Amino acid sequence: MNPASPTTDGALRALLQGDPAQPAATLHTWSRARLLRYAGYLVVGTGIFGAALGAWRSPLQALYTGIKFPLVILLTTGANAGLNGILAALLGLNLSFRQSFAVVLMSFTVAGAILGAFSPVLLFLVWNTPAPVGQLSSVLHGYELMQLAAVGFIAFAGVVANLRLRPLLVALGAAPATARRVILAWLAGNLFLGSQLCWVLRPFIGNPATRVEFFSDHPWSGSFYESVFHALQHLFFNPS
Amino acid sequence: MNESTPPPLPQPTAANLLPPLIPSGARGRPVADVPLGANAEERSPIMGWAATVDALLRQPRRVLYQLQQPGSGPLVRTLLAITIVCALVYGEIIGLFSGGTQLWAAPLKVVTGLLLTAVICLPSLHLFACLSGSDGRLVEFAGRLAGLLALTTLILGGFAPVAWVFSQSTASPAAMGALHLGFWGVATAFGLRFLRTAFGGPSGGRRVALGVWSAVFILVALQMTTALRPFLGTSPTLLPAAKEKQFFLGHWFQCLEGEQKQ
Repeated sequence: MNPASPTTDGALRALLQGDPAQPAATLHTWSRARLLRYAGYLVVGTGIFGAALGAWRSPLQALYTGIKFPLVILLTTGANAGLNGILAALLGLNLSFRQSFAVVLMSFTVAGAILGAFSPVLLFLVWNTPAPVGQLSSVLHGYELMQLAAVGFIAFAGVVANLRLRPLLVALGAAPATARRVILAWLAGNLFLGSQLCWVLRPFIGNPATRVEFFSDHPWSGSFYESVFHALQHLFFNPS
Repeated sequence: MNESTPPPLPQPTAANLLPPLIPSGARGRPVADVPLGANAEERSPIMGWAATVDALLRQPRRVLYQLQQPGSGPLVRTLLAITIVCALVYGEIIGLFSGGTQLWAAPLKVVTGLLLTAVICLPSLHLFACLSGSDGRLVEFAGRLAGLLALTTLILGGFAPVAWVFSQSTASPAAMGALHLGFWGVATAFGLRFLRTAFGGPSGGRRVALGVWSAVFILVALQMTTALRPFLGTSPTLLPAAKEKQFFLGHWFQCLEGEQKQ
């Protein structure tokens, strides 16, 4: 294999192994085919994970969540592409807009690969969790367990993907402090938008008390942060 | 190697096509002590929109050096054009929250507010610069201010998709107002960092002067959000009447109280 032009698979494997040289080399040339391949891995990995998550509620919810979960990540990457490029340049990382887009996509692809690999575990968990029928307490227990499992797996994948991103940015010429600042800025922007997109595209697990649906009845009603604010307000100022 | 065969030229790649990064003087980097134009890259002229945007993001010192040169008019005009286009785009996103009249009023108000803020603060910027030992002309400072506005609005443009998602989701003008203020705060912080580069070395007097001016600039811009209200929500009149004059903090608290009552 020519080390100057590693394959997409090789670059992704190297990135997962924590070797940034190969993925950094792929970023020196713009290749739509390579990006589509990364996006493909991302869609497959997160799609399988989403399907496993939705499978607890019903097969139809599995299909819906399998479509919506990759959609959230692709929309976040696309909508924040300009902002991520601007922030990278301002914070001292000399990457083009295309390169910063590709780097963020690669990072999400790593997260997608991890989530895809965890989906059998999640499916096993679904199999062992009380189904969303029967006693209310049992259903609620199952729902909460699925929420916790989803948060745990996604957090783990996100942390690993960002840990792998730092050496990649350093290999692309960033000082370690610059790489840290850029990752924090990207993380803040992507989390901020991603949380709201999750809110708009809810439900992902599926509320056992309502019918299975692709979108909620009012997808654009309210925001994730308003709901958190109201929940905190309720908790601290009106606990009854 | 055969001596008659010339060595192969390096192939252009996306990475080496980028202009080299010339950091600003932020975070106490020693580059702030180096006079503008000391780096050969800073002395190459900036031609066109794309090059101006690139230089604003990656080579702020190059922009500042070029603004000092005679014949910097086209660069200042490009910076102002970038400001107007990006402010119109972001203003349209603000207007989409309420729709109706705000679809055209909000973009116009954002552009007018930013330009008015710049005009109001330009003399004080020049004065503070003179007090801290600078011998720059007023025209140079106008260019630097145009650079600040261009960078600020460019970053706001980057935030536009995020702002749009939220503008379609929430019905609360207070929540949207807080979000826009947050985005404007981040963008303005980078804009002021650009200006700090122009003030040169780490002299205590210059830092204080720029700090005071930055506070004045921020206060004027915030007051502009109240003077030209409403940007969010609707009103029977396009601008507040003379008897409705308010300080921006008073207006914000009034808005919050109004929402809590609802």
